Amino acid sequence: MQSRLKFLGVIVLLIGLIVLHLFAGSTNVTIDDFYQSLVNFEPSNTTHIIARDLRIPRLLITLIAGGGLAIAGILMQTLFRNPLAEPHILGVSSGASLFVALSIMSGWFVFQTDYGIIASALLGAFAFGIILLSIAKFVRLQSSLLLVGIMIGSFSAAFISILQTWSEANQLKAYTLWSMGSLQQVSLNQIPIITILFLLVVGLSFFLVKSLNAIVLGSANAAALGVQLKHVRMLIILISSTLTGLITAFCGPIAFIGMAVPNLVKLIFKTQDHKTLLLGSLFIGAIFLLICDIVVQLLAQHLLVPINAITAIIGAPFIIYIILKRWS
Amino acid sequence: MITFNQVIIGHEKPLFEVKLNQLESGKVYALIGSNGSGKSTFIQTLFNEIVPVKGEIYLNQKELKLYSKRELALNLAFVPARFPEVEFMKVKDFIGLGRTPYLNAFGTKTEKDLEIIEHFIQLLDIQHLADKFTTELSDGERQLCAIAKALTQETPIILLDEPTAFLDYKNKQRIIDILEQLANELNLLILFSTHDLSSIAKQTIQKIGIEANTQSNEILPKMLPINEQFPFDNLLDKFYK
Repeated sequence: MQSRLKFLGVIVLLIGLIVLHLFAGSTNVTIDDFYQSLVNFEPSNTTHIIARDLRIPRLLITLIAGGGLAIAGILMQTLFRNPLAEPHILGVSSGASLFVALSIMSGWFVFQTDYGIIASALLGAFAFGIILLSIAKFVRLQSSLLLVGIMIGSFSAAFISILQTWSEANQLKAYTLWSMGSLQQVSLNQIPIITILFLLVVGLSFFLVKSLNAIVLGSANAAALGVQLKHVRMLIILISSTLTGLITAFCGPIAFIGMAVPNLVKLIFKTQDHKTLLLGSLFIGAIFLLICDIVVQLLAQHLLVPINAITAIIGAPFIIYIILKRWS
Repeated sequence: MITFNQVIIGHEKPLFEVKLNQLESGKVYALIGSNGSGKSTFIQTLFNEIVPVKGEIYLNQKELKLYSKRELALNLAFVPARFPEVEFMKVKDFIGLGRTPYLNAFGTKTEKDLEIIEHFIQLLDIQHLADKFTTELSDGERQLCAIAKALTQETPIILLDEPTAFLDYKNKQRIIDILEQLANELNLLILFSTHDLSSIAKQTIQKIGIEANTQSNEILPKMLPINEQFPFDNLLDKFYK
């Protein structure tokens, strides 16, 4: 009952922020403009273009990126039984970055289309997820796995910098812009494919609730409860790397959400039931990124700040708080 | 009921030979043996995590290796030595995880599941703990909750890895008494490993030992029933190096 009330609060906040986000830009766009831009679009009307082609895709990708990264985070935290695990620090998103860099700088046209970049990001994230999973088998200490992740990250960063020295100016620019992270690069016609993939894997994650709840107790306990650990581990890696790859492909590497949000959700809901944790991460992840992006938009009149900077400024202190609370 | 047919337990290399015929329902078995003798390997073998080097194990007349993970979870429950350190987990949610094999993928508990959970919470008299977080419990209380979780799994067999390891003398006795009582009243087969020879002195507890290394490296140690009366100081050499 109490958790339902909390969810109600979260949803009200989410709706409020969605409205705020839609109207936060520097141009004044009214509700009517949004409505008209959808039902009666005029290509010559700048307000319509801003509403339909900029604001709405930006809102949707913010919701998807925030919710998706938080879900990827909670899945990895449960899989590795480590509250600091998440795709970014574990090097999974660096896999996506490396493969995207490879495809942008390969100079091959196929790889430079939207689908090419999505495919390479997904492939890179999944490949690095599998590498991580196979290394995790041999790692006993929780902190060691994080170090392994950081090493995987440095490893791909090194490769990317080598690629950069070889690449041409326009490729370098394309990659650098991408790597700064942005919620403005997505166009309306890309939204359907992103949304479908997103809903598919997020939906799939809810089929793992029972197994996730048991995995919290450790692998010996989970196996004795009949959980098919091998399958579940692969599915978790598949889901979280798809989310990471997808979001990284379109928004660049966005840090801290995957780590901060699930911990915040646990603090708020005080439960280990993954139905609550997944839903909570989905909503609060979206809320977190909406707030960050509203800040970006409000600052935009004075200075341009990449979204990554804001997520880090808000996320990093919270992570330090979590670490101090747990291990001091 | 678990039956053994010329089984040699081991993981890659053989550890010991099982010289028991069977383990029966309604009885409590205490398994002793020095560190590294293979007690945990034995328990893992019963869970199909490790395949015996030789021989067949039967669970209710069906060969163990033919059981699927879920079927096994409906027959065997496990209580590990270490209670899992998890924050924000309520006792009743923890105990409820015993229902895992019966739930759908979304983990939805039915009225019946909730009744079963409530029933075993009352049976072990831990109602006062139900709404606490597991991190707030003492070691003795944790062990009771872990047993309650195993009971809600409603399996005919429960295996416990050193359930008395972290407990004081009184709690050790209490846990072992509870295990005996459960085996009697619910006709369960309960097997636990332990180093607390004094707390298993009672005659009603069946004792099994894994021999410490034999004189020659060529002969495998054996897992044997111990028929001698306690105290068996004279047997310490046989089972502890």
